[in-house]
Amino acid sequence: MATRAELSEFLAGAERRAYKQALFAVRDQDNALDIVQDSMCKLSENYGQRPVHELPLLFTRIVQNTIHDFFRRQKVRSTWITLFSALSSPDSEDSDPLESLEARPGSAAAESAADVVEREQVVKIIEQEVSRLPARQREAFLLRYWEDLDVAETAAAMKCSEGSVKTHCSRATQALAKAMRARGIEL
Amino acid sequence: MNEAEFAYRIRQALDEGADRLDYTVSLRLQKARALALERSVARQAAPVWVPALQLASTDAAAAGLGGGSRGSAWLLRFGLAAPLLVLVLGIVGIKQWQRDQMVAEVADIDFAVLLDDTPIDTYAHQGFGVYLRDENGM
Repeated sequence: MATRAELSEFLAGAERRAYKQALFAVRDQDNALDIVQDSMCKLSENYGQRPVHELPLLFTRIVQNTIHDFFRRQKVRSTWITLFSALSSPDSEDSDPLESLEARPGSAAAESAADVVEREQVVKIIEQEVSRLPARQREAFLLRYWEDLDVAETAAAMKCSEGSVKTHCSRATQALAKAMRARGIEL
Repeated sequence: MNEAEFAYRIRQALDEGADRLDYTVSLRLQKARALALERSVARQAAPVWVPALQLASTDAAAAGLGGGSRGSAWLLRFGLAAPLLVLVLGIVGIKQWQRDQMVAEVADIDFAVLLDDTPIDTYAHQGFGVYLRDENGM
């Protein structure tokens, strides 16, 4: 069973990565912070009694589910707004925004990165390109290679097959490599 | 460079980015963490709801002994299902008892009819009922 100190230590270590993941997904600082706060509260309220070694996987799943919930709520909200404003959406009702969500060109961050040191520039560019990945590819890539989950754990967290995880990771890697080359960055 | 190596480089960059968060974001994360820990403490201190039908032995399981939560959940479900089961069995029993009573009454009538001196064909005659009613009415 995790003590308060252990839980605090775990959250302190995981919160930054969770925030970045949420930020890559929702592209809004406040919403990303809300998602992380919700996830932390859910973990501590519902799983605070679990052993420490179970917390990383649980927290990862909670963060992913909270991000999905955010998009669901956003979809419902936009459906109502569309309904009331009598505007038709070109997307079909059944389409999953996570499957096809592309980033809008991030201009502010890129422009402000012009004056920072080269390494910071590279980090920012990588973050932008990760953020531009389709949602499922980004999710698989980050869980697999940033959160260090194995294929089975990633598949469980994403509620998809292991084959899909491998495909998403492979495509994400190819897309990132292509984007890096296009921007003249050698890793 | 293979996929794992490339991913490792990306991971390093992402780690760097995560370590270099704005002060306001770090502060907000710190507050969020404090809130989560507060809720964890509040949750632990909150009284545990124990159903009235739960057996005494489940208290020990619910107190946090390893593997107890699944057993207590099963007993809780059983505690809710048992009264329902008793109710259903009671209804079926009452229905059965009523049917037995009805059969017994019909059997009594049959006995009375068979033991009576009046021939049995008389009961099937339409005028016999009228005759009995008139006789009782007189």
